[in-house]
Amino acid sequence: MEKGFVENGFIIDLSSAMNTTQLVFELSSIMEHPDVKGKRICLKLGNLDLKQSQLLSIKALIESMDATIAFIDTSSEQTEASAVSLGIIVSKVGENSNMESYVASPNDMKEESVVVKEENAVTETPLTEAAEEPKTVEVHADIITTHTETHEPISTLEGIEDVYTEQTSDELSEVIPSENFEADFETLAANEGLISNEEVSKYILLDTGDVLPQDAEENSTDTKTLPTLYINQTLRSGQTVNYEGNILIIGDAHPGSEIIAEGDITVWGILGGIAHAGAKGNISSKVRALKLNAIQLRIAGLYARRNDTLNVPYVQKSNEFTPEEAQIEDGKIVIYKKLRRD
Amino acid sequence: MTGRVIVITSGKGGVGKTTTSANIGTALAKEGYKVVLIDTDLGLRNLDLLLGLENRIVYTIVDVIEERCKLKQALVKDKKNPNLSLLAAAQTRDKSAVNAEQLKDICDKLKEKNDFVLIDCPAGIEQGFQNAVAGASEAIVVTTPEMSAIRDADRIIGLLEAKEEIKSYKLLLNRVRPSLIKSNDMMSVDDVVEILSCPLIGIIPEDTGIITSTNKGEPIVNDENSMAGKAYRNVAQRILGEEVPFLDLDEPKGFMAKIKNVFAKLKAKV
Repeated sequence: MEKGFVENGFIIDLSSAMNTTQLVFELSSIMEHPDVKGKRICLKLGNLDLKQSQLLSIKALIESMDATIAFIDTSSEQTEASAVSLGIIVSKVGENSNMESYVASPNDMKEESVVVKEENAVTETPLTEAAEEPKTVEVHADIITTHTETHEPISTLEGIEDVYTEQTSDELSEVIPSENFEADFETLAANEGLISNEEVSKYILLDTGDVLPQDAEENSTDTKTLPTLYINQTLRSGQTVNYEGNILIIGDAHPGSEIIAEGDITVWGILGGIAHAGAKGNISSKVRALKLNAIQLRIAGLYARRNDTLNVPYVQKSNEFTPEEAQIEDGKIVIYKKLRRD
Repeated sequence: MTGRVIVITSGKGGVGKTTTSANIGTALAKEGYKVVLIDTDLGLRNLDLLLGLENRIVYTIVDVIEERCKLKQALVKDKKNPNLSLLAAAQTRDKSAVNAEQLKDICDKLKEKNDFVLIDCPAGIEQGFQNAVAGASEAIVVTTPEMSAIRDADRIIGLLEAKEEIKSYKLLLNRVRPSLIKSNDMMSVDDVVEILSCPLIGIIPEDTGIITSTNKGEPIVNDENSMAGKAYRNVAQRILGEEVPFLDLDEPKGFMAKIKNVFAKLKAKV
């Protein structure tokens, strides 16, 4: 694997990788280098075919290290299409330009930037913008700038656009979940032993009678259509969140706190307080958390209390959590646990 | 029937009001009386934890007052003893959500159908205290043999005397450590009674079992072997009007303890 250092930029040559696994492995080992942090990455991917989802993971991997993708260099049409649909710039690191030249003095850089124009395959995204006003991409040592007037419009742009839209729609059909996506996923996951139905010995339904507010009525609205409130803090005892939609909490919800949502409740942390999803009667609402230790779980009109015999440790010491999801099934609150694949 | 409404208060925090409420309530219920415990510490409720009922609370006293539910719906039955129930405080509200009149109203309703209504008072002498005292006709003042707790108890007794509704008040001395009294490092029971000039209803020895019982949500009166549990059962007997001698805290019971005691005495002689 070659890598070249640039001022505020970085070229990673992965073109020798035979498959995606190898590529990701190599990439992650390079990304561990402390110098990569905050840099713009130019990826050389060779002729490897990457799907949109695979490229997205690579992008996420790079972004997780605080770096960004400047552009990618690929000879595969599929990878190129994937990149375009993800809004990643496709460009070429010129054949004649070896990595060292990028490290060289700024004067050399100008020459390198010409490379972009020499290659007709240069495109830029998003395509709609490019179609209105043709742009070219200039590669500098440190940043990538776009010019609108100084360069000739790219002749092949229209043709490329056609191909891309076609391919993009193909890709999208793979990525966009079908209506039964969740169900399919759950069956699939259950078959693979990923999800177990950890029944409710953990929670016992309370006989509370008529508990819903009077203006509530039982329904089953798709919670995806509801707005979501995003909270980036730990909820402490006595704090309440009430929202007419979904609630997402990045942090723990301590015992004594209360989360009341008309839609779903998701806690990226330990849920220890009271959670009421579907508070206005939406029975398709769910409660999920990295650790479900809620004192009480309430979904629509069903209230369940944590089992007395359940011995919850004073402190959750483990760093490994298995996310859990609670939902209504056959008039009960059922908790699904996503198990680790060993 | 008209039950007795007793407020358990102290002024100072952390002396054991809530522990006392939970244990006396449980002890009275075990005697077969119908007991309701009211937690008036809005925003800092603990009584439900001590009784292990936290997970059963759906409605609180604020829901009753704001008429979101009926009083009966809000009473949480104890796990073991159907005679005992709890009216929980709201954790997500503060003391201003309730006023004295409303609490008096609830107490009046509850005493019609119960033998005892025990009110767990919050620390302090502000509105929370005024609310808690409003419906009560008797009071138990909890204190520990420390100067600060005694000073606060004195203040509370003064406030209680000024209230016409409070017909009687008694002192409960908590966390007494006989060994420290012996070595003259702690005020003796007599000293405290003399300072406060208030009739005594119980002496509870310091007991490490309280910590485990609190964490488990199981009042210590259910533990037959515990000294503190026995002392609380005696307090309940005295509330019922029986004459029970105070526990002799100097001589620990049990065979091993007696042997230890003998050795300790020998050592003292040497």
